[in-house]
Formats: sequence, structure tokens, C-alpha cells
Amino acid sequence: MFQGMNFAPAQLPSGLAVLREEVRDFLSEETDWSPNSDFNAGACPDFSKRFAAKGWIGMTWPKKYGGGERSFLERYVVTEELLAAGAPVGCHWIADRQSGPLLLRFGTEAQKSQFLPEIAAGKHFYSIGMSEPDTGSDLASIRTSAVAVDGGWKLNGSKIWTSNAHLNHYLVALVRTAPPSEQRHAGMSQFIVPLQADGVTIRGIENLAGEQDFNQIFFDDVFIPDDHVVGEPGNGWAQVMSELAYERSGPERFLSAFRVLAEFGKSIQPEPTDAQMRLYGQMVAHLVVLRRMSISIASLLEAGEMPDNEAALIKDLGNSYERWVPEMIRLHQPGKVSKGFAQALSDCILHAPSFTLRGGTREILRGMIARGLGLR
Amino acid sequence: MNEEQQLMASMTRRILSDHCDTALLDQAEQGQYPEVLWSLLETQGLTSLGASEAFGGAGGSFCDALVVLRETGRYALPLPLAETIQGASLLSSLGAALPDGPIVIASGDFALNADHRLVGSASDVRFGRHAKTLLVVAQTGQRAVLCQLLASECEIEIGANLAGEPSDTVTIDQKVALAHQFPLSLEAHQDIETRGAAVRSVMMAGALEEALSLTVGYALERRQFGKPIAKFQAVQQQLAVFATQVAASTRAAETLMVTESLSLLDVAIAKARIGEAAGLSAEIAHQVHGAIGYTKDHQLNHLTRRLWSWRDEFGHEGYWQERLGRKLLADTKANLWHQITAMG
Ligand SMILES: Cc1cc2nc3c(=O)[nH]c(=O)nc-3n(C[C@H](O)[C@H](O)[C@H](O)COP(=O)(O)OP(=O)(O)OC[C@H]3O[C@@H](n4cnc5c(N)ncnc54)[C@H](O)[C@@H]3O)c2cc1C
Repeated sequence: MFQGMNFAPAQLPSGLAVLREEVRDFLSEETDWSPNSDFNAGACPDFSKRFAAKGWIGMTWPKKYGGGERSFLERYVVTEELLAAGAPVGCHWIADRQSGPLLLRFGTEAQKSQFLPEIAAGKHFYSIGMSEPDTGSDLASIRTSAVAVDGGWKLNGSKIWTSNAHLNHYLVALVRTAPPSEQRHAGMSQFIVPLQADGVTIRGIENLAGEQDFNQIFFDDVFIPDDHVVGEPGNGWAQVMSELAYERSGPERFLSAFRVLAEFGKSIQPEPTDAQMRLYGQMVAHLVVLRRMSISIASLLEAGEMPDNEAALIKDLGNSYERWVPEMIRLHQPGKVSKGFAQALSDCILHAPSFTLRGGTREILRGMIARGLGLR
Repeated sequence: MNEEQQLMASMTRRILSDHCDTALLDQAEQGQYPEVLWSLLETQGLTSLGASEAFGGAGGSFCDALVVLRETGRYALPLPLAETIQGASLLSSLGAALPDGPIVIASGDFALNADHRLVGSASDVRFGRHAKTLLVVAQTGQRAVLCQLLASECEIEIGANLAGEPSDTVTIDQKVALAHQFPLSLEAHQDIETRGAAVRSVMMAGALEEALSLTVGYALERRQFGKPIAKFQAVQQQLAVFATQVAASTRAAETLMVTESLSLLDVAIAKARIGEAAGLSAEIAHQVHGAIGYTKDHQLNHLTRRLWSWRDEFGHEGYWQERLGRKLLADTKANLWHQITAMG
């Protein structure tokens, strides 16, 4: 078979049912937010703190860094429950999914001891700093750069589309630390940038739904001490690539429209027409298969593998699904619907364009899949 | 899949790659029944896989049979293997000794009257003409009875599905010996359809995997504008979509191969999801193949015509989507997310 198509059946161990119930109990007592299953759509620092208090941030990390030493599959259960309930996960999402594991893998002992416990405690939130005004899909073309100075680096440039930078404490930024050369992927490094540091300016950008969840960040001679460089200077590209399997394979890549689907089900339940039942069955069939594929990848991650291509594949399939669901439900909704349903549907339609952009566009993902097929 | 299943899959693959080539498929479609290959499958114990050894079967579970049938889908095997496996496992589950030769279940409209006369007909019976034994579900009063008949004593009118596979009409008007009547529980009756849908699902999954490798191989080989068409981004992106459909199909099919007792929900999901993938994938496979793929000579059509047939057999995707939707909505207190996580 081709590379990137290993989705061997895997099941969540039955022992996880207890954990799932704990998460459901916790969520059932949460009342001060309105649900939205799109992980980008809600951010609430207090929620993230309460959630951390249950030990559910950094679940898989070593205990000495504030983690829970639990399996990747346990983490899977917790994250999918959050999304399905539409919890406002935005603050801690990136740190838990990506920045923490990155530090765990490439960080120094001092960095792990300093940064990880704060993340796990729900005190510090992280953003991803990859995109720039002139750099989107072609990530290797970044221009934000740093020059070595006494004891560290001086950073200049700008990052954009940075989700929740206005609420978060740190940015893991990919920057040039050596001029571009023949080898496009050389000369890049990852910095931990404190977002309150001198010389950092954050300017909010309103998205088309009228929310301000992403930002542009400017760096003006920002001093980054050496101990805030992640891993080896110059190894930034490889490090960023190692995050992709975590970033792309999770339930957030196909659950963004879940709330609309659930509301649709409730609204048609009293008297479903054949066409509504058919659509509902079709959408659930897709969802169950996506979820099973995603669990297969989670098991590979648990086994220490790096299924980048599988992750690209499920993200593409999942994102297409998330974009298709609201479009179809629109056409099949009953004449009279609840406020909650109408709200969920319009939210989803307004956010849908981002599903196939954020975290790697549809076309870029399909390019990766094609490479796995040996076409390029 | 467990190790034993993997061994069975590779054994099946070995036999079929040696014996089931395009020439054989063409001949079969022209009416030359590949008897020799059937005997080979029979000696390897594949024709009664999943039927209890106590009744003359080869043992193993229905899951194991599904593993083998995915391989037959890959090779578009023009023999009633799926039909026979399903028939044999049904008979053995009813405690009946297995007859030899191909067994085909003819689903249709049949009644068994008081003097044991069976009357009725079934259309679209796959491989009906090649069956040695026909199994028919008949109504008698409120009950369902499975009747076992010699095919040679039934009237068979030949036909074909889109793939040119035998798809015959069976008409019966004859007495059935008491020894060849088996009371059928409602569950066992419904199982015929569910298992049929499961079988078609895994066969489609196999055919889809094969169609993808064939298409990728062709894209790398065929040159236009001075380079392989695989180098055009438009072609790459289509093949990537194809791959996502195949991956989803494989995952949906493999669920059936690892779950000992077939669940109606899993089968509905598999048949609906894979049936959908079949249409989209066949479209891309043909687009990438260009005109050559549209010819009867090219091997692609053996796979795509089967995909178009199999997605309709034992309920098309719309049928299973509706059943799934209806079942989920029937429980008025249920929460969708809880239903989904309960499915595993
Ligand atoms: C809601 C949201 C949140 C985001 N959050 C963050 C964040 O927190 N941090 C961060 O760093 N970034 C973030 N991003 C940015 C995101 O990563 C980029 O949008 C993405 O990488 C694409 O870059 P771009 O938008 O510049 O589009 P471009 O790369 O300019 O692409 C425009 C179009 O051209 C296509 N295209 C580009 N190159 C190719 C090619 N080689 N072949 C075929 N087609 C191509 C693309 O697929 C796309 O359709 C966010 C984006 C969104 C929408």
C-alpha cells in the first residue's frame, strides 16, 4: 500500500469510559459559556484554569513537569469530549497539543522545568507564530529574523493570523537565524517569545464573523535570551515539521460542525422526513469513519510513530466534511428551528472558510498526500 | 487484523494473482466459467470459510471470510465465492450439513404452502446459473423458512449486472422435502441482508484499493506535454482526493473484519460510506485514465463496473443512510455524541 494510508483499526481501551464520564460530569457543571464545537471559536482563560485543575492539560507529560503520565488515547478522549460539548478551548489548546510536546521533545531540562508546569497548571497559554504577511503556505519563505547578540538574539519582523495572541503569554515563533541559502530549510530556529516583552506589539484583526481571534504581531528589536531558543539553532524547520502529526490529526479537524449536526438531529427528531433521515445517516456515517481514522492515528502517536501523511489525509477529509455539513443542513432544516440551531448554523457558515485554510490549506495537504502516493 | 487473517489474505492474494488475470475476467464475462479456479479455491478451504467444521465447513469466523473477500474484490474474482461463503455459513449456523459446489441465496418473493410446495421468484440473483444449491427464504404463515434446493431443478433465466456478472432470475414451483426446510428466526433472516451488505462493502474496499494503485501507476507512466501526467498538480490533487476516499473505505471495511459479531450500525456505516466512495473514486479513476480507460480492453473497467454494481447490491448508500438515520433518531432520549462514542 501507499505511504500515508496506515489506518489500521484501533480502539479506545474500554477502561477509558470512566475518564469520559468524569469529563462529561465536569462539563455538565460548566455554565458560563455558550457552546461552539469549532476549537478556534471560543477562548476563556477561566475555563482553561478550571480544566487544568482537573489534571487534563499536559496529560501525557511526565509528572515531574506537571503532567499526568497518561496515554495519548486518554488525552484523545478528553479533547474530543471538550469539542463535542463545544467548550471554549482556545486558550490552552495550542500549548497542550503542540507547544508542550515540542518542548518535551526538543527543550532543555531547564526549559522543561520552567515552562511545562505553568502550561499544565493552566497559567500560561501559547500561540503559534509561523505565518507572516508574505508567508503562508510557503513557510520556508519567512523573513522575520534574529541576529545573535550578547546572551541571546535580537528579533525583528512580523507574524500574522496568530490566534489568541492577545490572550496568550507566549508565542513559539519560527524565525530566520541565518540568511536564506541554497538549502531552503536551513537557517531557521524556534524561539519562545514572551508576548509581554519589550518591543512586541499585538494588533487585533477582525475576522469576517466580526470576532477578534487572530492578530498581527510586530517585533521591534525584541531581545530573546539564549535559554528561550527551542532545541538547536538552525534546526527550526525539522522541529516545526515534527509538530504536524499532532497538529493535524486530532478531532478538531472534523468536529467543527458537530454542534450544527447535533442541533439538526434534535430539530428533526419529532417528525423526520425520509430525506432528513438519509442526510443525518450520511453525515453520521462520515463522522464515525473519520473518528475511527483519527483514533487509528492517535494509536500510532501513542506507539511513538510520526504519521505526518496520515495526519494530512485525515485533515483534508475532515475539513471537507466540516465544510459540507452546514451546506447540506441548510437545505434540509425544518421550517421552524430553535434559536440555538439557527445560531449554530450561522456561526458555522461564517467560520467554514477557515476550516480548509488554518493548519495547512486543502491544496497543500493534497500535495502531501500526492507525495505519499509517489506522484511527486 | 490478526496474524492469521493476514496470512489468509496473502494466501488468497497469491492464488488470485496467479490465476485471476484480465484474460480470465474477459473470458468469464463471455460465459466461460472458470471451473479450475473454483476447484483451487475449494481445495484451499476458502469456499466454506466461516462455516463450522462440525458441518463440513472450513471453520474460522465471518470476519475471516470478510478478509478473504476483500482480496477477491481486488481481483474482481468472477466466481460465486462471496455467495457460497454466505450460504455455507447460514446453513451451518442452522445446523445443516454443507452440500458441495457453489451455494447461492436467492432473495425474492417466495411462499411455502401447506403441502410443502414452494412457489415464487427472485430476480438479480448473482451467479444463480452457476449455483449447485439454491437457498430461498419462504414465508409460511407468519414464519420464515429457509429452503434448500438443487439449482438444476429450478428455472433460471439469465441476465447480467453492470459488471457483466451473472445476475439471473430464479423461478420455483416445486415440492421441498421436509429435510430441506429450516425454520429461520427473524434475526437470522435479517442477517442475510446485513451480511450481504458487509460482503459487498469489503469487496468494494478491495476494488477501490486496486483501482487506486492502477490509476497511480498509470499516471506515472502516461506522458503528455513531455512529462508524466502525474507531474501535473491538477492530476495530483484528484488522486489525493481518491486516496482519502480509499483510506476511509479501508477503515470502514476493516472495522467489520475485526468485530466478531457484526453490528447493524457498523454495516450501515460501511455500506453507505464505501458506496459513496465508490462513485467518486470511479469517476476520478476514469478521468485520470483518459480514453484508454473507457475501453472494454482495459482492465480498469472490470473494477469500476463492479463498483457501480456492488454499491447498489444489498441496499445502495441512500438505503443504508436512511436506516442509520432512522435508528439513531428512534431513541428520543439519546444524545448523538453518546451514540457516536458508544459505537467505538
Ligand atoms: C482562523 C485562522 C487561524 C490561524 N491561526 C494561525 C496561527 O495561530 N498561527 C499561524 O502561524 N498561522 C495561523 N493561520 C494562518 C494559516 O496557517 C494560513 O492561512 C495558511 O498557512 C495559508 O496561508 P495563506 O493564508 O497566506 O494562504 P496562501 O498560502 O497565500 O494561499 C492562498 C491560496 O493559494 C493556494 N496555494 C498556495 N500555494 C500553493 C501551491 N503550492 N499549490 C497549490 N495551491 C497553493 C492555497 O492552498 C490557498 O488556496 C490561521 C489562519 C486562519 C484562517
